[in-house]
Amino acid sequence: MTTQKQGPYVLIAAVFAVGAAMPFLIQQYHLNMLTEIIPFALYAVSYNLLLGYAGLLSFGHAMFFGVGAFTVAVSLIHLPGLSLWGAVALAIATTTAVGFVAGGLLLRHKGSYFALLTLAFNSLAYAVATKWHTVTGGDDGLSFSRPDLDLGFATVSMASRTNFYYVTLVVVGAAIVFCWYFTHTAMGRTVLLMRENEERMKFLGYDTNISRLILFTFTGAAAGLAGAFYALHFQFCSQSAISVDMTTAVLLMTFVGGTRTFWGPILGAFFYILVQNYLSDVTDRWPLAMGLMFVFMVLYTPGGLSQIVPALRNLVSGGGGTAAAGAKQEARP
Amino acid sequence: MSEYLHVQNIYKDFSGLKVLSGVDFRVQEKERHAILGPNGAGKTTLFNIVSGKFKPSSGAILLRGRDIAGQPAHVLNRQGLARSFQITNVFQELSVFENIRAGVRSRLGLRYHFFRRPDHHRELNERTAAIVEQVGLGDVGHLPASVLSYGQQRALEMGITLSTDPELILLDEPTAGMTRAETAQAIRMIDRVTAGRTLIIIEHDMDVVFALADTISVLHYGTVLASGRPDDIRNDQRVKDAYLGDG
Repeated sequence: MTTQKQGPYVLIAAVFAVGAAMPFLIQQYHLNMLTEIIPFALYAVSYNLLLGYAGLLSFGHAMFFGVGAFTVAVSLIHLPGLSLWGAVALAIATTTAVGFVAGGLLLRHKGSYFALLTLAFNSLAYAVATKWHTVTGGDDGLSFSRPDLDLGFATVSMASRTNFYYVTLVVVGAAIVFCWYFTHTAMGRTVLLMRENEERMKFLGYDTNISRLILFTFTGAAAGLAGAFYALHFQFCSQSAISVDMTTAVLLMTFVGGTRTFWGPILGAFFYILVQNYLSDVTDRWPLAMGLMFVFMVLYTPGGLSQIVPALRNLVSGGGGTAAAGAKQEARP
Repeated sequence: MSEYLHVQNIYKDFSGLKVLSGVDFRVQEKERHAILGPNGAGKTTLFNIVSGKFKPSSGAILLRGRDIAGQPAHVLNRQGLARSFQITNVFQELSVFENIRAGVRSRLGLRYHFFRRPDHHRELNERTAAIVEQVGLGDVGHLPASVLSYGQQRALEMGITLSTDPELILLDEPTAGMTRAETAQAIRMIDRVTAGRTLIIIEHDMDVVFALADTISVLHYGTVLASGRPDDIRNDQRVKDAYLGDG
């Protein structure tokens, strides 16, 4: 029993330890890629809380990612002396507010209405980012530089990519861990039970509209944090961060990784960014290859990459249990 | 005994179709009240209105003297009202334990908490385990609801209804589809778990009604034909003509 309870924490500590050792193990080029992957992992995990855990298909997640990214860029350009923490906190505050307002208008809708309305919101946000040239830079985007990190007793230079990698690992990594923790909290279980039977939840005293609003706002804020670190990583933000393409990207990551486990989307983010990087070196038509890959994954491994792992384990151990049952464990206990 | 619920002159029509036309009856505190009536008499519609699923077209529902008509289901549940469903309405993919814990959690105010984990809440898990035992599902608590037998699913339905520790329980045909033996067992269980609570039960089965009810209201074409003690209802000429006579 003890080992079962401590298991996840040991695993988390191990992942962080490996993450901390990475700058000594891999080249700068790969480290940069990793610094890009970590925010995308949070982005995909937050998306899967909506899709996998709550059963809500959203086409508007890039709205949060983009608002987070733009908030960081705009505030660092226009508020001189703003600290890194200040910019990140502003990004979380803005995306929480956006989530609350958009969620308030959406929360009565489910299924395809919900999906289409989120798409509409995303398109609106994209239009604003494109047209409001004076603030967002329009097609040109916004360049800025990361402020150094003031820890009180020392100042850490953020010009160093390795230092920034560590900040990303700790802050975004902690956010991912909290998302995992969330799935075990009362609110996390409520979300899961609502997916199973929303009507019954109402008759058990749960206000399901409020629950959806809370979840939508929370996942929005998490995506906003991801977007903030995405912008900080590139020290640049353009309208692509808020485009429907960015929603498609998170959809691909989540589906490729698998919606049935918590860690599937993290795997998906790794896969997506790595493949995208290598493919785009080879050909300009990399989205075509990604699209084909997506089609094959949906057809042949609907449970995503995270389904393959237990399937292989079963194959090796010769166990008769179904792979799907193992993969379901996390999201459908 | 004091008056707990007064369903007052309730009307309901669905786009012109009159389902309830002036339903009126009273339920005393801790009473067991059966609603009897043929198919299509409007029994389930009445339950849907009392439990907050539908709003009545007109009329009032007084719970301890306060009108609750038209309030949403989750608000009514928090005021001590719980219902079961005629067609089993559980969380199929989740374990029996988790099914019942949802309601216990709600009762303990742990609905939306962002930090507290149900697995680590002792009182919550003890109360849940007690209800799982009460409805006789102790041996299958860890299994997903979807693998349970029909009788066990009905017991789970009962357990979920009890999980918010309600004062007033509405049971919608709890023995529908059961064999004689299962029905007898279900009656004993209902009798046991609803002790000390107010109960309103919809039932077709006369044996169940006469075994459990203190008071019976007969619903016929959207109105209450008669309301009274079981013996009076049995001998009521209007009821015989409308319902019992042809049985």
